Amino acid sequence: MSFLAWLHDTAFGTVMRESTWAEPIVETIHVLTLSVFLGFVLLLDLRLLDLGMRRRPVSQLFHELNPGLFGGFAVMVVTGLMLFSGDPVAFYSTLFFKLKMIMLVLAGVNVLLFNATLGRRLPEWDRGSHTPRGAKVAGIVSLVLWVGIVAAGRGIAYALPPP
Amino acid sequence: MKSIATLLLAFCRWCNGSFFGHGIRDSVWLFPFVEIFHLVALGMLGGCVLLLNMRLLGMRFRGAPVAALARELRPWMIGSIAVMLISGFLLFSTEAVKMYGNWAFQLKMGALLAALAFTFTIHLKVTTSEEARFSALWRSATAVVSILLWAAVALGGRAIGYVTTSAASVQ
Repeated sequence: MSFLAWLHDTAFGTVMRESTWAEPIVETIHVLTLSVFLGFVLLLDLRLLDLGMRRRPVSQLFHELNPGLFGGFAVMVVTGLMLFSGDPVAFYSTLFFKLKMIMLVLAGVNVLLFNATLGRRLPEWDRGSHTPRGAKVAGIVSLVLWVGIVAAGRGIAYALPPP
Repeated sequence: MKSIATLLLAFCRWCNGSFFGHGIRDSVWLFPFVEIFHLVALGMLGGCVLLLNMRLLGMRFRGAPVAALARELRPWMIGSIAVMLISGFLLFSTEAVKMYGNWAFQLKMGALLAALAFTFTIHLKVTTSEEARFSALWRSATAVVSILLWAAVALGGRAIGYVTTSAASVQ
């Protein structure tokens, strides 16, 4: 809790809280970036599930989407932290925030597991229109987690006390 | 012009009083539930639109023809537009009269009409034709206009929440 109190009192947190424009601008960047990042994630998940873009090798899709995925994720982490610093104690006190963080960690674990297993052997299976079961599992887990993360993120805004 | 405004306002009143407008407004969970569909479809649409336009600009999928990528993305694009229109209409119906007087909402609807018209005419033509038919400049311009129009829709949507108008101010 002391970390949250410290973050709250930093000059940065104070600006986020007290400026009229900081919060709307940062939140808009957060949501606009999401509206592209989420699409990239879903397109990859759908490919892993054999549901979309089936003619493209999985590795090609990874190659084309990765810069956008990494860049988008970075922007969302930075803007998310900025929003969080405005009122860390209130954010942390909501159930939705905790749920969102847990799901983010799980989504990260899902990516790491995939990369360490099937991701290493992409050339062996990525051209076929039928993806292995492990890839389907990774796809559905990612899809469910990211929809959950978006829902929980929206939930935070409802749960926070009005400014 | 005045009769159109009267008609629109009457439509907003009808939405407010309709069973879905009522039902979603009176429920604690229905509004956020419909909102999730709107947000997830927004993500899908935003991703598809940007990806296709990045291809037009020559930034991504350089090895694949534009028309092939457009064909693969089309079902997801049209599907997400449909989900967004339906969920958006449901969200709108809970406070339709308030939205009628909200300039951010008016801006969003104007941009939406323009974005849809552009997407299903010029953008469709340029992304489905053989690449040699249009110059690189023409293709890039199409991509930039598409990105700007859809960004205007998203920004207008974001602004709705910040623009507060009271229903009482609309007679």
